[in-house]
Amino acid sequence: MYPKAQRLPIFFLFVLLSIGCKERSTGTDSNTETEAELIKRSLEIHKRVLTLDTHADTPLRMIQPGFDMAQRHDPNETGSKVDYPRMQEGDLDAIFFAAFVAQDIRDDDGHSRAKTLCLQMIDSVIASTKRNSEVVGLALSPDDAYALEKQGKRAIYIGIENGYPIGNTLANVEEYFTKGVRYITLVHSSNNDLADSATDESGPEHGGISAFGAKVVGEMNRLGIMVDVSHGNDSVFYDAIKLSKAPIIASHSNARTVTDHKRNMSDDMLRVIAKNGGVVQLTMLADYLREVPPNAEKDSAMASVRAKMKPVSHMTDEERKALRKSFQEINQKYPPPPATVKHVVDHIDHIVRIAGIDHVGIGCDFDGGGGIQGVFDASEVMNITIELVRRGYTEAQIEKIWGGNLIRVFKEVQAVAEQLKSAKAS
Amino acid sequence: MIRLWIILWVVFLSEQAAVHPLRLSLCEIEYSSKKQLLSINLKLFLTDINEALVFDPNSKELAFCQPNESVKANEMLMNYVNRFFSVRANGKLVDLKIKSKKLSGEGENTALWVYFEFEHPLPLTSLEIKNAVFTDLFFDQNNIVYLHVDGKSNSMMLNKKTPVHRLKF
Repeated sequence: MYPKAQRLPIFFLFVLLSIGCKERSTGTDSNTETEAELIKRSLEIHKRVLTLDTHADTPLRMIQPGFDMAQRHDPNETGSKVDYPRMQEGDLDAIFFAAFVAQDIRDDDGHSRAKTLCLQMIDSVIASTKRNSEVVGLALSPDDAYALEKQGKRAIYIGIENGYPIGNTLANVEEYFTKGVRYITLVHSSNNDLADSATDESGPEHGGISAFGAKVVGEMNRLGIMVDVSHGNDSVFYDAIKLSKAPIIASHSNARTVTDHKRNMSDDMLRVIAKNGGVVQLTMLADYLREVPPNAEKDSAMASVRAKMKPVSHMTDEERKALRKSFQEINQKYPPPPATVKHVVDHIDHIVRIAGIDHVGIGCDFDGGGGIQGVFDASEVMNITIELVRRGYTEAQIEKIWGGNLIRVFKEVQAVAEQLKSAKAS
Repeated sequence: MIRLWIILWVVFLSEQAAVHPLRLSLCEIEYSSKKQLLSINLKLFLTDINEALVFDPNSKELAFCQPNESVKANEMLMNYVNRFFSVRANGKLVDLKIKSKKLSGEGENTALWVYFEFEHPLPLTSLEIKNAVFTDLFFDQNNIVYLHVDGKSNSMMLNKKTPVHRLKF
């Protein structure tokens, strides 16, 4: 068993600051509720509902020699955002660990290597759940999250981020399913054989989902794997809506109207995914949450130091160190405006307005760039619940946001798979 | 021959880096006993290299792979790389000499690929890899290493806390 959980200083600060505030009414459930009472109520809700994060790149950490998921890591020292003690601290009940393999050449050899590396990452997740079976369990079905929660364990689901390791072999989809994979992000930051990326600088290659990608979607439907459109371009989204017989997900994407980023989803896409019955999982990537204005003061301070620099090749080591320190001090003096939990809930508010409460969830992208002020790692996810309560969301609504919606989609995906099997059998 | 990574892998990394600095580099090491060849391909963000070498992520001073590339560019790059990256094959330090370089991507997503290749006639029995590039700049820098030894692939992530890993074959 783990030692008594330690709350992160940031969370303590958050709570203390809140308690230290004037006895302000929240204007939500009760006009007399204080900040301290609101936080207490929020944490109770957070404890009661299933909290499920649909996207973490933690398998990348698992290939770090000596990295132990059972140990608590300091995110400010190591950059690590998820381990089992911090999931426990944050009352994060369930998580999808995404196996990610950097994309190589798209030929048989490249695909074969990617498959090997992807299977290794999946195996590392499975091995981790076995080694830590007192506190976590490998989850394969929607109900496993609730069953494991009742046992006091965290549910570990597996996803694949980028269909590249499928290569052009359809049978690989079933192999990954058998291993435990329950969603596949069709594409990542560059086009693959399945689909076009939102961020491929060479532009679209297939006009959305390729002919082979369409077969993969069909196979995912047949097996009961959720189709994830995050990272795909807009055409991939609309193709997935048309092709998939089951509702789709965006495992880590935000609202484009709130923050104009091509990885975020337009209002039309939000309306369409609502009609489809799918869900958009909000992510904690700062640039998808807020825009950063230029900082002329900082630029000027940097320019001033650079103007006094002598050629770098003429500098001594001591001079280089001093110069590095000067730049670090400027960066510390003029940090970019933080993305906060308020930005997160601004996006949730917007998606709820456009798509409805049944079509939004949480996919933090921890260990893949996710982590903002107040939700810096898995131990701080309760701050999302506190902000939701502050804005008047009810427990039933929070339950939907924190996992209910995703579980509903997951169940529908598996039901469609059963129907397809029955139809084929008859 | 080591394989070329497609350009847009970099987009993921830099996209993330721009969002919340997920600092990453990639290294691919391949050994073929048939060809008796050990090859190393380092993929580093140009902004990180410029930050490390000339204190300005957007500097054009070294102009890597451009017609006006600085005569000091390779020397400065290898002075830095040799401090933070090394490979020992069968216990012997591999002398890193650049065989080729190339740029991929655009703007903030530009990556510099640095390619090294060596003849290695003896059977490969062990590899020690140190990859701590940019850990002097960023506390959360992570460096992914993919190994392909005689058709068998493996991966690891090295960083400030765990900069070195040894493997036996």
